[in-house]
Amino acid sequence: MFFHIVLERNMQLHPRYFGRNLRDNLVSKLMKDVEGTCSGRHGFVVAVTGIENIGKGLIRDGTGFVTFPVKYQCVVFRPFKGEILEAVVTMVNKMGFFAEAGPVQIFVSNHLIPDDMEFQSGDMPNYTTSDGSVKIQKDSEVRLKIMGTRVDATEIFCIGTIKDDFLGVINDPATA
Amino acid sequence: MSEKGGKGSSLLSKGSLKGKDDSATKSSKGRRVQFSKEGPFESGITSTGSPASGGKGEFNKGGKGDKVANGKANASKSPSDPGIDQKLPENIKCIMDCEAADILHGIQEQMVMLSRDSTIKIPISFDKGLHYASSNSKYSDSESVRRVLQPLKGQGFSDNEICMIANMCPETVDEVFALVPSVKDKGSTTQVLQDSLHQLSKLKQF
Repeated sequence: MFFHIVLERNMQLHPRYFGRNLRDNLVSKLMKDVEGTCSGRHGFVVAVTGIENIGKGLIRDGTGFVTFPVKYQCVVFRPFKGEILEAVVTMVNKMGFFAEAGPVQIFVSNHLIPDDMEFQSGDMPNYTTSDGSVKIQKDSEVRLKIMGTRVDATEIFCIGTIKDDFLGVINDPATA
Repeated sequence: MSEKGGKGSSLLSKGSLKGKDDSATKSSKGRRVQFSKEGPFESGITSTGSPASGGKGEFNKGGKGDKVANGKANASKSPSDPGIDQKLPENIKCIMDCEAADILHGIQEQMVMLSRDSTIKIPISFDKGLHYASSNSKYSDSESVRRVLQPLKGQGFSDNEICMIANMCPETVDEVFALVPSVKDKGSTTQVLQDSLHQLSKLKQF
């Protein structure tokens, strides 16, 4: 789920960036440092939307660097346990399938896939119901529920399920 | 991914997710693997709302031990664990996918100007986030969606629950109760919810 959040960060700026364009340089550096990063608390920082406040700079002893406290607004994406997401399947194997929802990877184990769906190997591995009416394969859109999350250094990884009511395939590229 | 799956399955096979002992959840590299238990809906979406599948320990990440994980699954995180902070920080506002798409489209236009600076690279998560928000955005006008779902706020629905309902665009009240169990306890909201869903379906773009 997307959130709009105010964060604060201490930015260090080299003296070469001082001058008339100090603020612009600070904002550029902030965007370079922050956009695309991931943390366990906030999730993925998708984009910086604005600067709320730039505090007074503090010159660091021994170097010419100056530290500015910057308050900024940003859009973050963070999945939560119990959240319902629509994701696109990226890979299918006999252990389950991987899907992607924005920058987040989700794995759905075969234990959390309905029992009437079986794995079919081949050129296009998929999970299919016994009557062949529903198929999960690469590029299928599925609605799933997040069961748990794990945060790595640079990404968030989730476990999902489609075994509950109103979950499962939304759109099958084969029939689209 | 297989590397991650291998680590996950080895942790599971040690039964390290059984108790509250966080040291047991550490991988061989000393990195802590945490499965978050709490959600943003403090009153609502918990494991009690989920069927039995939550208790089976089925967190295989493509690993080997598909029969190993029949024991307890969830790593119960102790409140003092500094690993993953489950509480949302303050100054946070949940936004719907359609609102996020509007914001990110606006930023994309600015990005075109910024991309002239060769030192600035547009991050992959921005592209993925924008694509996800745009493809999941089922409505043409996000403000109308907010207005339609405003009555739910009066019924005690949280911002997060309202955003989830907007993102899912459910057709029936039963669907909402199944997917967002926390709203069942909101008293006599069925009629208000039904009206809101009806209005929402009119705003849906195909």
